[in-house]
Amino acid sequence: MRGRLSRLAAGLTFWRLVLAGLLALGAYATVVRFGRGLGAATNLSDAFPWGLWIGFDVLVGVGLAAGGFAVAATVHVFHITHYKPIARPAVFTAFVGYVLVIVGLLFDLGQPWDIWHPLVMWNPRSVMFEVAWCVMLYTTVLALEFSPLVLERLGLQAPLRLVRAIYVPLVVIGVLLSMLHQSSLGTLYVIVPDKLYGLWYTPWLPVFFFLTAIAAGLAMTIVESYLSQRAFGRELEHDLLDGLARVTVVVLGVYLMWKAQDLTHRGQLALALQLTPEAVMFWGEIGLGVLLPIALLTWPRVRSNRTALFFAALLVVLGFVANRLNVAVTGMARSSGTHYVPSVLELGVTFSLVAAGFAAFAWAARYLDLFPAARPELAPSPKSTAAARAAAAKAAVQPSPTASGWGIAGLWVLLLAGWALLTVARNREATTRTPAAALASQTARRSLAGVRPAAWPAQPRLPAAFSFPRAAGSPGAVSFDHASHIDAAKPRCAHCHREQFSLLRKGSPLRGRLVMDRIRHGELCGRCHNGKQAFGVVPGECDVCHGQ
Amino acid sequence: MTAAILTDLTKCVGCQACVWACKELNGLPRGDDARALSATTLTVVERHGNVNVRRQCMHCLDPACASVCPVGALHKTPEGPVAYDESKCIGCRYCMVGCPFSIPKYEWDRRVPRVQKCVMCYAELVSRGRQPACTQVCPAGATVFGQREALLTEARHRVASEPQRYIGHIYGEHEAGGTAVLYLSAVPFDQLGFPTTVRKDPYPRLTWNVLSNLPQVVSVAGVGLIGIWWIVRRRQELAATRPPEGER
Repeated sequence: MRGRLSRLAAGLTFWRLVLAGLLALGAYATVVRFGRGLGAATNLSDAFPWGLWIGFDVLVGVGLAAGGFAVAATVHVFHITHYKPIARPAVFTAFVGYVLVIVGLLFDLGQPWDIWHPLVMWNPRSVMFEVAWCVMLYTTVLALEFSPLVLERLGLQAPLRLVRAIYVPLVVIGVLLSMLHQSSLGTLYVIVPDKLYGLWYTPWLPVFFFLTAIAAGLAMTIVESYLSQRAFGRELEHDLLDGLARVTVVVLGVYLMWKAQDLTHRGQLALALQLTPEAVMFWGEIGLGVLLPIALLTWPRVRSNRTALFFAALLVVLGFVANRLNVAVTGMARSSGTHYVPSVLELGVTFSLVAAGFAAFAWAARYLDLFPAARPELAPSPKSTAAARAAAAKAAVQPSPTASGWGIAGLWVLLLAGWALLTVARNREATTRTPAAALASQTARRSLAGVRPAAWPAQPRLPAAFSFPRAAGSPGAVSFDHASHIDAAKPRCAHCHREQFSLLRKGSPLRGRLVMDRIRHGELCGRCHNGKQAFGVVPGECDVCHGQ
Repeated sequence: MTAAILTDLTKCVGCQACVWACKELNGLPRGDDARALSATTLTVVERHGNVNVRRQCMHCLDPACASVCPVGALHKTPEGPVAYDESKCIGCRYCMVGCPFSIPKYEWDRRVPRVQKCVMCYAELVSRGRQPACTQVCPAGATVFGQREALLTEARHRVASEPQRYIGHIYGEHEAGGTAVLYLSAVPFDQLGFPTTVRKDPYPRLTWNVLSNLPQVVSVAGVGLIGIWWIVRRRQELAATRPPEGER
């Protein structure tokens, strides 16, 4: 008994407690979300319809899975087989990522049970329609790409042969779907030029989403390798990680230049130099998530140190997360006119999904052959090939590692200088152009505002006094004056004009006829003129209303 | 031929008859809280300074909401109104994000929520050749129903005959590529809560520029990838059969 307890206590490490807490919060959030609706579980509103679940669960989840297609293409299409050990963890991450995206969507969709609708109800003009199809198809493709691991484990030879036979077309389809899909998530925001802040809105969003997804996907593979080494002692060979890091630097560099040029071309760079929440978030994203990792990863000493490489790659991943959240939340905040902060329950669901992702990866790393080449017990592969590979690696690195490092650093300085020049040129252009443009827009505004104030409608614009037809035996005509019956500052026509004096039914039989009996019984004028809210009908004082 | 509504803000007396008529026809709760558009208030009379501003769905000629809807739940009807089919909707709320006028609202508190917006009484009235409830009841003639061309002509006529009464801008004539709901005003629209950075081109064009290129991208990239795979594999096969150059 005691032994069992202590074993249980030993199993309850800090992180397992955290995991259990998160999953409990997530379970509670699930009950609230589906029991009482989106309004009860989230801080979403009409002004802010997309929040954390779209910004993180979907945009980030899909993006981090990009390593899957990038590595699959490298290995199976470009035949750089040297990277083969990475393919499995990358494909598995992508698969888990996509499954979690779908789960996240089930939370976010107002009617998740109708998630299959895009299959049969088509609107090819819709980006979301394309996203839906890509998620569905690519999840299927990833499941197939990943299936050999499971089939191997189960020892099912026939289906394994089938999957291997169609593997290359499968990878090509997967790469195509992924390219479409990564970019489409950016395209989602191409239709909101007035709502998304200028630092992020650009018609190039699809390309930017694609590039950043590749960088983040590769960085994620490095991160995973490090974490699984810590947890299970299994990791990828270091020269592979070094190669991934180099490619990440190049992709980030291309993205950075493109982004800089796009900002300058659209004249939005000035927004980055103002002290606004958006600019701070922008520099957080670019500075810590792009500039710093480029600088770090170009440095050979960082790439050769396992821990330093991990942290640099982690920066890339965090920068990517910041980018997606900036597009989905920060960039949309100003135009929405509200403040959106995710609710505890929204955070609970998101963290639970992340935890589930980690758990799935940990499970796979333990029970499936996720890092085949790196397993120490499998290491003694045929000696000749290992030696050949070592020699090849040596040959590849031979042209003095420090020299190549300096070369990259030099390139990097050149790129920075190019950007700086571009910025200066743009600013000069802006300062020379601004006064005239500002003047023109000012005069335009004045000419609009200069419309005679006298023409503004006086409020309230009340109907003229209304004389009711005089009935037989009436002591005098009754005239109704709107002005004496309403609060001129806050006219509420509908207060009276909804039921008794309906505006909504033209030619209502009440029009033009007042009957004293009904008034005495609290109808018509008597609804208010009952002696309480307003003076009532007092015998002998008919002339208060009649005969004015 | 597009069914349309012209609202002349200089004529509106702010009685909210349109608001109550709308609620009555659509069976929406009639609390006295109709101050802003919501899932239970599909048209509203806002007060900006001393101007009454009736807001509702603009019924764009080429609506962003209908183009972004993945299942076609929101759609432009042949008569002109932008209608909604709740049996198709999956609740992705892209319409709310995509609408340049931020019109569609959501039933956040319902377990089976719908998107709500003015559909110009399409099913009940306009598709049967009648006018919507709101224009039917307006006692001041401030909001009227008709064909868009006729209403535009009328609007231009009003501006021309009383230039001191109106600013020259007919809101909705060009906004978002043209809308079926048109406004006349004495006060510039940016002071009345109307989005004035709205583009003159239809919004769906922005995403279509990207989407329409995808077949080319996919076919070229697909052929390219398979080609690369084929060439690289052939090279590796040759390299495997031939002795390495260093040993010759």
